[in-house]
Amino acid sequence: MLTRLKTQVPLFSMNSYTKLGEKLKLSGLSLASTHSHVIRLGRHNSKMAVCIAVIAKENYPLFIRSVPVQNELKFHYTVHTSLDVVEEKISAVGKAMADQRELYLGLLYPTEDYKVYGYVTNSKVKFVIVVDSSNTSLRDNEIRSMFRKLHNSFTDVMCNPFYNPGDTIQSKAFDSIVSAMMVQAS
Amino acid sequence: MSIPDYMQCAEDHQTVLVVVQPVGIVPEDEFFRIYKRITSVAQVSIRDSQRNLYIRYRHHYLPENNEWGDFQTHRKVVGLISVTTCGSAKEWPQTSDRFHCQKDVFGATLYDSRLLVFGLQGEIAEQQRTDVAFYPSYDDCPDVEKRVEDFVESIFIVLESKRLDRATDKSGDKIPLLCVPFEKKDFVGLDTDSRHYKKCCQGRMRKHVGDLCLQAGMLQDALVHYHMAVELLRSVNDFLWLGAALEGLCSASVIFHYPGGTAGKASGREPSLARGQGQAADTGKRHRPGALTANGISADTSSEIGRAKNCLGPEDIIEKYKESISYYGKYKNAGVIELEACVKAVRVLAIQKRVMEASEFLQNAVYINLGQLSEEEKIQRYSILSELYHLIGFHRKSAFFKRVAAMQCVAPTIPEPGWRACYKLLLETLPGYSLCLDPKDFSKGSHRGWAAVQVRLLHELVYASRRMGNPGLSVRHLSFLLQTMLDLLSDQEKKEVTQSLENYTSKCPGGMEVLTLPDGLKLPPVPLSKLPIVRSVKLLDLPVSLRPHKQKGLLENNLSSKSPFIYSPIIMHTRGEERTKKIEFRWVQGDVCEVQLMVYNPMPFELRVEHMGLLTSGVEFEALPAALSLPAESGLYPVTLVGVPRTAGNININGYHTSVFGVTSDCLLDGLPSVRTSGCVVEVIPSLPRLQLSTSLPRSAHPLRPSKEELSSSVSVQLFNGETQQLTITLENIGSEDLETLEVTSKTCNTKEKLFGEFLSWDLEEAVSQLPLKPGQSVTLTVNVKVRLDFSGGENLLQDLNDDGISVTGLPISSPLRQVLKPRAETKALGSESSKTDYNHVKTLEAVMTFKYSGGAGKVEGYYRHLSLGVHVDVEPSVFFTRVSTLPATRTRQCHLLLDVFNSTEHELMVSANNNQDLVLHPSECQRPAAGSSRGEPSLYRSMSLVGWRSRWLSSTFTRYPSRTRKPCATPTPNYWRRRGFTPRPP
Repeated sequence: MLTRLKTQVPLFSMNSYTKLGEKLKLSGLSLASTHSHVIRLGRHNSKMAVCIAVIAKENYPLFIRSVPVQNELKFHYTVHTSLDVVEEKISAVGKAMADQRELYLGLLYPTEDYKVYGYVTNSKVKFVIVVDSSNTSLRDNEIRSMFRKLHNSFTDVMCNPFYNPGDTIQSKAFDSIVSAMMVQAS
Repeated sequence: MSIPDYMQCAEDHQTVLVVVQPVGIVPEDEFFRIYKRITSVAQVSIRDSQRNLYIRYRHHYLPENNEWGDFQTHRKVVGLISVTTCGSAKEWPQTSDRFHCQKDVFGATLYDSRLLVFGLQGEIAEQQRTDVAFYPSYDDCPDVEKRVEDFVESIFIVLESKRLDRATDKSGDKIPLLCVPFEKKDFVGLDTDSRHYKKCCQGRMRKHVGDLCLQAGMLQDALVHYHMAVELLRSVNDFLWLGAALEGLCSASVIFHYPGGTAGKASGREPSLARGQGQAADTGKRHRPGALTANGISADTSSEIGRAKNCLGPEDIIEKYKESISYYGKYKNAGVIELEACVKAVRVLAIQKRVMEASEFLQNAVYINLGQLSEEEKIQRYSILSELYHLIGFHRKSAFFKRVAAMQCVAPTIPEPGWRACYKLLLETLPGYSLCLDPKDFSKGSHRGWAAVQVRLLHELVYASRRMGNPGLSVRHLSFLLQTMLDLLSDQEKKEVTQSLENYTSKCPGGMEVLTLPDGLKLPPVPLSKLPIVRSVKLLDLPVSLRPHKQKGLLENNLSSKSPFIYSPIIMHTRGEERTKKIEFRWVQGDVCEVQLMVYNPMPFELRVEHMGLLTSGVEFEALPAALSLPAESGLYPVTLVGVPRTAGNININGYHTSVFGVTSDCLLDGLPSVRTSGCVVEVIPSLPRLQLSTSLPRSAHPLRPSKEELSSSVSVQLFNGETQQLTITLENIGSEDLETLEVTSKTCNTKEKLFGEFLSWDLEEAVSQLPLKPGQSVTLTVNVKVRLDFSGGENLLQDLNDDGISVTGLPISSPLRQVLKPRAETKALGSESSKTDYNHVKTLEAVMTFKYSGGAGKVEGYYRHLSLGVHVDVEPSVFFTRVSTLPATRTRQCHLLLDVFNSTEHELMVSANNNQDLVLHPSECQRPAAGSSRGEPSLYRSMSLVGWRSRWLSSTFTRYPSRTRKPCATPTPNYWRRRGFTPRPP
């Protein structure tokens, strides 16, 4: 009931922001993307994520990749704000039974264009996957498996003796796993 | 109804709305002063009935919203208080008219009204009127609060009568249909007799009565009425009103459960609650039983449903809110109601700490479309969303919306962009992005934050502050950006940022002062300690000649006072000590002191640093700033900063000062843990005189042989053996203190050569008599340099001399009668080896002269300085005795000793011996002088007297005649002559 969308007129009109963006050199600020963008993704029959982020225990990004590269900052904002929900979910569960907690956090929040999913490892490293909300074919199970893959790959990164925990991830193997999960940019 | 009141909360449902407005010309500040006093009466407890009436004041209310008053009675304006200024009786009628006009605006719903007149005195003011109060001035109105309380009580009476009137309506009577403004046309021509319609009317009226009960302080009755209304309205699918009834139910339950209110700390109710009863927490509970009995409410409601059942539980409240909001959502025109309901629900959830659900409500609120919003409304909406997210602890989301609001303030559609507001809002977002504008927070460890977002935010702050017309702020923010995010910026960005920084600083140079914003926020200074990055700081000792030394005796005293123990195994060492560690050497007041920094430039372009100087404490210090230019991404680069201590004491080098891109910064070493330093505290001793030494001889090109002492200067001279040279030393006092003492010592460097006589000799008396030496004056000292060395054993030389087959009896005259003819090495390469052999003929003599001097305040403290002058003398052989033979003399006891003397120089020499006649020896001439005679046993004579002779010869005066024919060659050697075809004359 609460997730019902009223889409008569988009609340945040893209126009005003792009103009403002030119003025202020802001490219990342927009709550809504244009319809053309959604259509473009649809044409490519996307099944996968548009943005994948790994966030450290201290809530700073270790890795962030998004498909429309030109608007990366927008995803930075999306992922950043999703941390509120992640933290809330962790703290809510944490009190009850921290050890038996499920790593997968489920849908963090839907925006007009995207759905944001979260996953927290036992060491409090967070994974966030953003998918297009027009993408209805994606099931919860598939999201879970994406997270599991991501987690495995992240474990490999951590096993690398030359990786300094806390540094940004530059592993090629990890990058290729992420790329495989992402929507191929046209 | 188009403008939502975002500040609403559930307990507002129990308030009555009173509008306070100025009439005519009322100074704004005066009005708000009165308004503040009026609003302090937010809760009035009604006499006789133990009930409380809550009042919500507004100084601005849209009449349009008033039309929704039937739907939710707390939206209805029931009271009007007008504030007016009236100077004279003449103006009174006009003022009165205006008041009546204003009353008409809300006329339909008003229960009562008051007019507060300020400034009017005289006949009219004497009148006793209930609806008008007269006060002589804004400062003289002691009973405003009392008047307001009376006014509220009169409202209560009307409210109570309305409530009773409606509540006791018999079902048989015709109940009017209450409706909201947009419904009116829908009911035109509807069958008013239908069962459906009647139920509709009943349900709505029940809901209305519930509202009135809630306002009148009868919570339980209200709950009962709401429950009944919900049932009635549900049966007829009157969704809008069903929603309202459910919301009423929720509001009443919230009031029951959370008597402290849900509006948070901003609630204006707290103080008045304390004022009213002092029992704020249980007012609701205490009054409930009374409410049921004291007011003859129809029996059916009170007995029908139990109290506990009526009130919703905390879970239910949210469920019902959800339901209610979903019903509102069916009506496009009820967007504002829906939005407000969402906001209220969020506030309740925030109190319940059910954050996730609250965020869902907020998410929904984001999507509620209110049609065309003005820019101002958008800003308001984003701000309130931000505030609510903040309330539920979603600080990032809150920051996000605040930033959106900030951007909305300067949207291009706004004719006059509010950069000031934008800037203010942006500043408020900082905590949400975990940014703090104090650079000290960043210096700890590497940066950990959401860099991309933070950089953007800082850019926006810079831009907004610039547009706001405050370049000082822009400079501060840009400096902060450069300082804290330097590692995260790309080369291109670095260039851009520094360029704009230079642009801004051309208008407003950046400094180290704390900037204070109008709202009290302080922007701490940002020292650019990364432009350039300083890796190490090393204090340098003074140059050797200027180093002060402590008199021995005094030094020991000093040491012994440090500790009573001669030796202790316990090393008093703490970690913090390293930085404050005192350095061994000392600086002298008034002398230029140096500190060496190792710096590097992290920027991809040349960095110009101006006015780089030292920051010190403890001693008055005159820093002499330097300017430097570091190449792009330079490696470590040494920079020497200099300054002059002006007083004595312990000086602490705290940091350094730079000016880069027009931003001056004071970088303190305490804040720079990455800087290596070997101690920053050094003792400055009182000033000492300074001497400059100049000599009559040229300075030495080659340093002295490795010796422990460092020399301030050295001279070198070339002398022939036996020659004496005068060296004039001029000592000039170039310091600012009088020279009071002067001591001269000399020390001959370790040499294997046997030295005869005194090498350096001087007479200090004359110089000392000129003391004290004033600054600028000079004193001269003449030093005699005498070289007398033993050149025996110079077979090599003799060989060289003999290379043309001349037989020479060598000097090692072990058997002077034997002809010693050593065969020369057959293949002697003239060119290459000659230089080596040449050198061997020259002997070196070195000595160090030390000038110890002191004066001024430093002398009192027991310090002195010393200058040392290295004297380097290359001694060349002058004469050789090529052959020794004896001739019997006339007397048997005597014999003649014949010595063949060879002048190897190209000067004329005079050889004198024991009062014999002087012999002039021309260059490269061999003569057999009339030798002196000796007597003794031949055996003894061979070995002893020769030595005696030789020494006598060597001690004989040796005068060099300036060459008349040609200039002396640098080192005339046998080979030199040979090359010119010269053959030494055979003896």
